[in-house]
Parts: sequence; C-alpha cells; structure tokens
Amino acid sequence: MREVKDVKEVEEKIARVRLRLGGLSVPQLPLLPQPPSFPFLRRRFPDIRLAGACALIGVVLAFAPLHSAQTSMQPETPKPPDASSQLSHDLSGVWMQYPDGPAPGVPGMNAVDERFRPPFTPWGQARFDAAKPMQGPTAVAGQENAPTLHCDPDGPPRVLNLPNPFEIIQIPGRVFMFFELGHVWRTIWTDGRALPKDPDPSWLGYSVGKWEGDTFVVDTIGFNDKLWVDVYGSPRSDQMHLTERYRRLNHDTLELQITMDDPKAYTKVWANPPKLHKLEPAWEIAEWFCVIEEENAYSDTIRKPAGGISTSPK
Amino acid sequence: MSAQTGKPAKTQDADGPLSHDLSGVWMQYPQGDLPGTPGMNTVNERYRPPLTPWGQARLDSARPLVGPKAVPGEENSPTLRCDPDGPPKLLNHPNPFEIVQIPGRMLMFFEEQHIWRTIWADGRPLPKDPDPSYLGYAVGKWEGDTFVVETIGFNDKDWADAYGDPRSEQTHLTERYRRLNHDTLELQVTIDDPKSYTKPWVSPPKLHKLEPGWEIAEWFCAVEEDKAYDDVVRKPAGVAPESNKK
Repeated sequence: MREVKDVKEVEEKIARVRLRLGGLSVPQLPLLPQPPSFPFLRRRFPDIRLAGACALIGVVLAFAPLHSAQTSMQPETPKPPDASSQLSHDLSGVWMQYPDGPAPGVPGMNAVDERFRPPFTPWGQARFDAAKPMQGPTAVAGQENAPTLHCDPDGPPRVLNLPNPFEIIQIPGRVFMFFELGHVWRTIWTDGRALPKDPDPSWLGYSVGKWEGDTFVVDTIGFNDKLWVDVYGSPRSDQMHLTERYRRLNHDTLELQITMDDPKAYTKVWANPPKLHKLEPAWEIAEWFCVIEEENAYSDTIRKPAGGISTSPK
Repeated sequence: MSAQTGKPAKTQDADGPLSHDLSGVWMQYPQGDLPGTPGMNTVNERYRPPLTPWGQARLDSARPLVGPKAVPGEENSPTLRCDPDGPPKLLNHPNPFEIVQIPGRMLMFFEEQHIWRTIWADGRPLPKDPDPSYLGYAVGKWEGDTFVVETIGFNDKDWADAYGDPRSEQTHLTERYRRLNHDTLELQVTIDDPKSYTKPWVSPPKLHKLEPGWEIAEWFCAVEEDKAYDDVVRKPAGVAPESNKK
C-alpha cells in the first residue's frame, strides 16, 4: 500500500513518478506514437517560442498580482522571476480539444489514452470487468452501467477526457476550471498549500497546483472509486494520485499531459501523451446539466449502441 | 474631488460608503423559518402573492419534503432525483455560497449541489429569447451601493422554494445585494412571474454573514446516495432503506 501519509511522502511519491517517467519532459516522450494530426499542428505552430514571448508581455500585465504573489518570498532581482520563462503563465480562456481523438475528426476521449493503459491489478481487472460502458470493445447493448447514466457527477480525469469545452479562470491563490459537461467546476489551490493528509473521498478530489517553469502542474488526491477514468470503464480507485501538466504553447494552444498513479487499480503508472486544446475566444460555457429524465430519454434513443425505444412516452 | 464641499476626501468609491467588493463565503444568519435555523426565507412564503390558476395547479401537484403540504411517502421534489437546483430556490437553502468577482463577471459558487452560476457584469443586456434553463441567464450592475442581478430564461422544472411554489419560464428574478459592512451581506429577492403569481413576490431582505475561514466543500447530489439519505433523514416518514449498503 502506498498511501499518502504526509506531504513529504507525497513529494517523494511525485519524485518517484517523475523518476519512473525518466524526468518527464512531455514533448520528448519518445515512445508515444503521435496522432495523425499532431504533425500538422506542429507545422501550423512552428515558432511557439516567439508566440510565447509575445504572450508573456500579456501575462505580466494581466496577472501581475498572481505572479508577484508567487515570487514575493524571493529577493528582488532585476531579471524576471523565472529567467527560463518563454511561455505564458496565463491559462485563462475557453479551451476545446483538437479533433484528434480516437476516431478521425473527433475531439476528446484521448487525454486519457487507453492505448497507454498499464496492466491492471486484480482489483482493477475486477472493476474493469464489471464495467459495462456505452462504447468501446467491451460495450454490450442493453447492459450499460456507466455512472453517467444515472447522472453521477463527473470528475477528473474523465471530465478532461470528454469532447466538450472547459474554461480556466485564474485568481490569486486559485485556478478554477469550469466544464460544460455536467456543469462541473473544480478548484485548484495555488496558494502554496500542501495536499491534505487524509482527505475525504470525493468525486473531484483535492487539487493543488504550482508552476514548474512554464508548466502548470496540478496534483490531485482524495478521489472516491465510484467514477471511471475514461468512457471505457477503466477504474479509478481511492488511491489515485493524478497529475496534470498544462503548458500554453502559444496564444491559441494549450497542452495537457495526464499521468495517473493508482497502485490499487494499475500495476504501473499510466502516462498519456500530451493532448492539445484550442482557444475559443468567442465561446461561453453553456448550461448543460445531467438530468435523469432527459438523460434516460437521450440515452435510450441516441447514446446506447442498441439505440432502443424511449421508455417514457410523454 | 472634495474641493467644492471642503470636506475630507471620501473613500475612493464615489458612489457611496459601502464596499463594492462582495467576494467571500457567505452564510445566512440563523433567522430562518424556525428559530436558530438559517435559510428557507430568502424567498419568504409569508409574502407570496395569490397564485394564478396555472400557479395554483402547479402548487397543488407539488409534494414537498417540508412544510404543511408535505405528505410522507408522496414526496416529488425535483431534488429527490437530483435535478439541478437554480435561483431563487438555490439562494433559499441553508447552505453557504461564495462570490468571486472578476472583470466582467460575478461568479457564485453554491455548496448545495456544487452549482456555479455566472452573472455577466460586462454591460451586456439580457438576451431576447434565451433557451429555458435551470439557472437562467443573469446580468448584474451596480445601482449606487446595490448590486442588482436580473435573471430571465428559466425553465419551469424547478420550484421557487422548498414548499413547491412554482417557477415558470416567465419568471423575471431580481436580486439586490448590499454589503452593509465587512461582515454582512444583505440580499433582497423579488420574483415577477405573471404566469404563476398575480403580483410580484417581494421578499424582505435577508442577512448573510461573512465566513472568512470557510471553503466551499464538495457536495454533489448523487442519486444513490441521495436516496439513502432521503429515506433515512430527509423524508418526514423516515423509513430506512431495505438494502443495507456499507
């Protein structure tokens, strides 16, 4: 059991994870096959450094309070707080996944990428076997038991995986994420607090974030085991330590790389390739709640593979 | 600025002496329907105007969990199947909310059901024909020291309070917030819903206390958990569920 006992252990655990990942530097992850459209995106945004430098001017103006709060402990120096900073530290905006999902033209569904899933533990395998997803190879029409079907709340990392936009808002000490799916919002504490020692299991977990160079690193623990990590039924246990790494590659592009360390469900750390998101400056997050009655009708007629008959004619 | 009157300079806020910063976690004072209970009277049933026939029919079909109309075993509150809660009922629950102000927007985070709501404060008008929704479409602006929030575009699926009073899609909700002092937020709610009520429903102002040490916790409505909770605690009949889950 690798339970979180104190902050130091958490930090050591993160260090271990990094070690296992070979000092995770996302763009250079060598073993990751890139989705077909990825090279296209690279061609389209060849000079991320220039764009990042331009964006940096904006972030200094727009987020001076946040930035100075982070550096207030450091002695005054004439140079920028982080001399290596090239990319913007302003992640705010409405973001939508690029259409490089599992199927051509489909966004989402691979920020958590099943192709990179490590072997299950026996517990994880039992959970996975019990899951009856609505899509994928293990889907069985008429037997679907996704938590979504009874409108259970969605949480990370699954909520990051669905093909729907989210908005990021940064205020001093906190980053908010607003997901259109399920109208879910989450808080990432950036006031320097440590992860809690013994958090109550929850749908969203407890998140803290900090900047490591140009990467905003979010660590989350304290999940319950009621939610899946993806739409295919891969489990999430209460021992999961989730790490999200965000980088604003240029003004229009946000990169997200997800790593899951869940020793109860998986025999190894599950590291996913980075997924790109596009800024949608004109979008506003709409109201989309999961409502049981509507959901049942929608599921029966559209979402379930069998595409059955609506149960409650009105 | 103060040259004309010769008085000492006022606070930098030229509009008045009260703060225009509403941010913080707020909790109702314990002056609810029952002594010592908070909430349940921001929308105050004692001030409810007469119902229209449509409104009366809706109220008659409602089976609330609380109040004189509650019938054990027949409850049909939307909350029981975890339907989303919206204003004004959301403001009426005895649970804290947090206000965050950012340029162009005011955000409200409710502990109840983990709901967030956007109030646009960038000068945009109310939309002309919004889609009906649980939260409605809200815009806000300062009138003197009062932050006035106008909301339209509701659906008629949520109640206006815990007693089953209806909320139609014609509801025009007005909330008036004033920060009376550092620790106290006043909220006055007016419901203008001509489809449900024969007159505007004007509730008296309700006070909220700043809770600087609080953080909004995660409280989602999940059907399975909610059913167990309802059966044991919330329904008046209080019957234990048959399945004894751990």
